[in-house]
Amino acid sequence: MEVAEQTQAIDKRARLRLVADRVAPLALAQERTLPVLESLAGLFPEGGLRRGSVIAVEGIGATSLALAVAAGPSVSGSWTAVVGDPGIGLAAAEEAGVVLERLLMIEPPSSGSSDKSAASAVAALVGAVDVVMIGPGVRLRPADSRRLSARMRERGSVIIRVGGIDAPGVDVGLRIVESEWTGLGAGHGLLRARRIRIETQGRGASSRPRAGALLLPGPQGAPIALGEKAAGEKAAGEKAAGEKAAGEKAPGKLRALA
Amino acid sequence: MRKQRVRKHQESSAPLPDAVRTLVAWCPDWPVVALGYPLDEPVAVVHANKVIASSSAARQAGVARGLRRRVAQSRCAELEVVERDEAREARSFEPILVSLDDITPRVEVTRPGTCALAMRGPARYFGGDEAVAELVQQRMGEALAGRTEIRVGIADGPFAAGLAARAAKPTRIVEVGRSPEFLAPMSISVLDQPDLTDVLVRLGLRSLGTFAALPARDVLARFGTEGQGAHRLAAGLDERPPDARMPPPDWSVTTEIDPPADRVDRVAFCARSLADELHQRLEREGISCIRIAIEAETEFGEVLLRLWRHEGALSAGAIADRVRWQLNGWLNGSAATRPSGGISRVSLLPDEIVPAKGRQLGFWGGETEVDERAARVAARLQGQLGADAVKVPERRGGRHADEQLVLVPAATVELRGRSLAVDHNNPDTAPWPGRLPAPSPSRVPPSPRAAELCDAAGVMVTVTGRGLPSAAPAELVVDGRRQPITGWAGPWPVDERWWDTDEHRRRARFQILTADGQARLVTLENGQWWITAYWD
Repeated sequence: MEVAEQTQAIDKRARLRLVADRVAPLALAQERTLPVLESLAGLFPEGGLRRGSVIAVEGIGATSLALAVAAGPSVSGSWTAVVGDPGIGLAAAEEAGVVLERLLMIEPPSSGSSDKSAASAVAALVGAVDVVMIGPGVRLRPADSRRLSARMRERGSVIIRVGGIDAPGVDVGLRIVESEWTGLGAGHGLLRARRIRIETQGRGASSRPRAGALLLPGPQGAPIALGEKAAGEKAAGEKAAGEKAAGEKAPGKLRALA
Repeated sequence: MRKQRVRKHQESSAPLPDAVRTLVAWCPDWPVVALGYPLDEPVAVVHANKVIASSSAARQAGVARGLRRRVAQSRCAELEVVERDEAREARSFEPILVSLDDITPRVEVTRPGTCALAMRGPARYFGGDEAVAELVQQRMGEALAGRTEIRVGIADGPFAAGLAARAAKPTRIVEVGRSPEFLAPMSISVLDQPDLTDVLVRLGLRSLGTFAALPARDVLARFGTEGQGAHRLAAGLDERPPDARMPPPDWSVTTEIDPPADRVDRVAFCARSLADELHQRLEREGISCIRIAIEAETEFGEVLLRLWRHEGALSAGAIADRVRWQLNGWLNGSAATRPSGGISRVSLLPDEIVPAKGRQLGFWGGETEVDERAARVAARLQGQLGADAVKVPERRGGRHADEQLVLVPAATVELRGRSLAVDHNNPDTAPWPGRLPAPSPSRVPPSPRAAELCDAAGVMVTVTGRGLPSAAPAELVVDGRRQPITGWAGPWPVDERWWDTDEHRRRARFQILTADGQARLVTLENGQWWITAYWD
């Protein structure tokens, strides 16, 4: 008697769940993205990182750019994991906006050219953290990459690769085509900011190439967007300001003696 | 079928509707005993820098639970301090449990060192509470071989039985229906809920009896479900009303392991995903599990079943831990009890479930679900790749890129709810004078690379005692490749720790920009140039 009632109750609950699934609100494309820093939003067609996509960066300044891309989700509460790249400047990461409390650095023991332990580490991380950054030294076998990308689409994580922009499976490639430092003179000044020009390539929604100019790192480390047209002028102004500020800010020779 | 029988039993024993007659056997100081120390040596087991258990010799010297490590050491100079090892506690408790297996098959491990049996069956079979208590004393005494004593308490409900075991010398039997009287004079602090008892003491309720005398409805209204549970315990009832009992059997989950696993970590790995699955199912139904039966079967049909209880709700990670503990004890036990084959099946059967009250996760910072997931994956990768493979940043003091923030193994810090904010009152992490200002280098290689900085004539640049470069640098040579310099600044000399001959370092730092657009931090130390960091 009681058992019959119970099965009936379970049955009802199962049916209710079916209905709930059917009337559940659709996930809009917007909800399927991770936010990026405002200065980088112009580089991505959705204005954010599409969940499940692979982003690769290349050129002089690739590490800074990768950190800046990772900073957006990190600021809004996501965790970031860096696999196989212990040499990342943590201070630079923090200045770019990555929240260090939510950063994991994974150093898989290296084993040969294509890393099996790195692949398994990335596979474990995908789904548990939102952003996985893969260092330039990690090489994944094509089979591993394919398996990973399937898992990522399901779990909604984003992979940021440093280097390997033309590799198959990359959804958005960011190439730094120009980079120029300001603030450093011949024997005076201080590295102040770097003006970079980025061109994107990609597939799907990102197949239309985009371009943008940034100060990366900016004077405080965080990226600052430059208008395409005004980029030249602004950079010049920045240069002058930068030199002035640098002169004031440079640590005194005597003060540095501890 | 099973369920109906249980209900009937509960109805028939009307005066105490749900307090199950229970025997609790307690081995005092188990964390010390499990680590293999004799109790007459002063030993303290610490966890998170607090003493959680101590040997009787240490207690005589004034080392009590809850003391900080330093305080404990100051009270007893020859104190041996050891780190807690929960897995080992559970593993070494397993042979003791095995000795009880022919008294009843359902032995519940409250925590390593304490186990509980439901008395209804054994008492009828062996002829009364005294007989069972004696048998338990004897069996466990043989298995323990004098390492520690055993205290046995029998009462209505596991809470009263646990307290009876604490009061036992060495056996204490509280007669049927007399548990409320037994509990009444006890101090309210035995409830082990500091927040609640603090309020109760201030209200003048110092014993369980006075608390139990309050009307249950008022306690619920004032103190919520937690208070209700405590009130029921104080009144000699079970913590939760009886309707929360015995889930329908279909909540159990099972996995077949093929080929059978003879190593614990393989089984634990399967158990992990099984626990996750169970957890998700229970979560969807809005219930959580406070006691679980873990059943393992070998390819030759040997079965080991253990019940595990948890004060809070058992999380997926906690369930997986218990599977590992249980199997560790079984597979690595003595030859007599070890199974003859590999484990071919693991089942998790939720035994007691309660409506999930839900854990309130932080809205503004604090612990959140994403933190929980990240902490879990960090733990998993530590198991997979080694403890040092997963690191997290920590703020330290220093002037150099590799000193301000360092990587420490994730195992050494609590990942959830951590804060790395700059503390200006802490001299270690407050901004150090002589740091290079932002932007910081984005790459700091673990070991610096040797280089050479030359002037226009190809002579190595040096820095004079007054902190000036000998000549303007014109070329940077890295690995034999020459790069013309387009911009440079420096030197910023640092003379650190001159008071310490071993750690004294004198360095001069330059920022160098070469023609290829690469900016580097180049350091001169002891006449050698190093590339310590670069801006990529």
